[in-house]
Amino acid sequence: MISIKDLTVSYGNRTILHDISMEIVDGSWTCLVGPNGAGKTTLLKALLGTCEYAGSITDNGEEVFKNHNRNVAFVPQNPHVPVGMSVAEYVMLGRSKRDGWGNESLSSRTFIASILQQTQLYGMQDRPVSQLSGGETQRALIARALAQEPSLILLDEPTSALDLHHQISVLNDIEILKNRGVTVVSTMHDITLAAMYAQYIAIIHEGRVTMTGPSDTVIHSAELRNAFDNRINVFTLDSGRPVIVADKAINERETPRTEA
Amino acid sequence: MSPISRIWNWRITVGALILLVVVGLLAISIGPISISFPRIIKTLLGLHGLSGEQRTLVLDLRLPRVILAALVGAALSCSGAVYQTVFRNPLADPYLLGAASGAGLGATIAITASHGNVYGLLPIFSFVGGILAVLTSFFISGRFFAEPNTLLLSGIAVGSFATAVQTFIQQRHSDALRPVYSWILGELTAASWRVVSWSAFYIVLAIATMVFISKKLDGLMLSDEEAFSLGINPQRLRIIAVVAATLATATAVSASGLIGFVGIVVPHLVRGITRRVTNRSLLTIALAGAAFLVLADLGARTLLSPAELPIGVITAFVGAPFFLFVLRNKRVSSS
Repeated sequence: MISIKDLTVSYGNRTILHDISMEIVDGSWTCLVGPNGAGKTTLLKALLGTCEYAGSITDNGEEVFKNHNRNVAFVPQNPHVPVGMSVAEYVMLGRSKRDGWGNESLSSRTFIASILQQTQLYGMQDRPVSQLSGGETQRALIARALAQEPSLILLDEPTSALDLHHQISVLNDIEILKNRGVTVVSTMHDITLAAMYAQYIAIIHEGRVTMTGPSDTVIHSAELRNAFDNRINVFTLDSGRPVIVADKAINERETPRTEA
Repeated sequence: MSPISRIWNWRITVGALILLVVVGLLAISIGPISISFPRIIKTLLGLHGLSGEQRTLVLDLRLPRVILAALVGAALSCSGAVYQTVFRNPLADPYLLGAASGAGLGATIAITASHGNVYGLLPIFSFVGGILAVLTSFFISGRFFAEPNTLLLSGIAVGSFATAVQTFIQQRHSDALRPVYSWILGELTAASWRVVSWSAFYIVLAIATMVFISKKLDGLMLSDEEAFSLGINPQRLRIIAVVAATLATATAVSASGLIGFVGIVVPHLVRGITRRVTNRSLLTIALAGAAFLVLADLGARTLLSPAELPIGVITAFVGAPFFLFVLRNKRVSSS
């Protein structure tokens, strides 16, 4: 259980996150949604332990700031891709915490091969990461996170650079991790996909968590429409699955449409 | 499905070591008086293989010079590779943070102030100059390493300032122009056991530190958040890396002047040939850099014998075309 209490994060005079309190259930997938600049990435970094905060974030009772005892995988939106580094080197970096730095046992190398197969990168291990396509790069990032065998994985917009087919394949890989008991926290702009994969959704709006709860409840809430200036519509398909689409008409803001 | 191959094959490192030994023996053997390999090895092992005069030639003239070339080559290429990692910039070189210009200023002050007794003061002044310039860059960039590029920029500014002061001093003392110029081009003529022993101390210490942290250094090529999640403290690791690389560079510069190109060409050669960018190659890069500079110094001594070429001219003259050749091949094969 990760519990966030009265979390406030400021850069200089600017307060990014105001007084956030929420809990993240172990082994669940929680999705942070909200407009650009709402503070989603900052919250992820706080959960990782790299950004200074007031208040507290504890992971199974331990404060997370600069805490290296945990094994947390972080998948950034814009990774630094080292020039010339091969896919094998890149994914193998994920083993450094488990194996010790630079230790490359046969079992680890076998494990990496199986991960590369799972992420459809097997056979590309000698290619430079910098020459991969957007989808392949994202899969390499996911592969490195899988190699870490983390207890918590934080993903910043894991699907934003991908076409529909690759979005689903990446999200399925993450779901496999979740089914193995890994706690997943991700930010996602596509709320339809968020509702499809995550059990819990937290709405971040102007640095505050305005609502958090099971995906079904949050999707149909007024808080969600409010966070997006009432410019979204929520439809429900026959199967019962919600679909969220952007609304072009700005003038209709005062009278938000009800669900179709 | 078979396991992925090892990231680093240590046989390459052993190969680089053998290369260094062979090149070293070659450099001791070749000269106005040539001496055969077996006799050199006997002498080095303390056995009687040579006459007294030849012993002096080997032990007091050629050997310290070869060792100094090896130390300087190892220092420059190893710290070049580390700077490239820390600044996430393949063009970074050991002189980047103002170490070269600071050392140049220190050397110029030593040369203009000493009137003759140059070699006593010069190494100390250039060492202090180089370290001071890097410290100034650190100080100006403010927040220690929050943003590596800020440090890089302040290093460039401090370097330009030091060069300007150096040029000003040179203009006022035109008699110093020639010695300063020849120092800037790099020279190993001052090699003596005294120079070898103090530079060996700092350079071996610095390289050992860099090799010790080399595996973790790979994490610094990623963003700080990614590095943290892989289990390293990026800020602390960067400081250790830059301090060690700067110590190696400043020592190399004060012992031998400004020998250009080694710090860029050798790391890229090793990475290009092995197709690996991991810092596990640091020891290999150091050994290859040592062999490269020993070979370059051999060229400097013998090509226009009895006159000597500045070693910096050799490293650039031979290194640049070879480097371009490798770069071109790499591009062709990867596209």
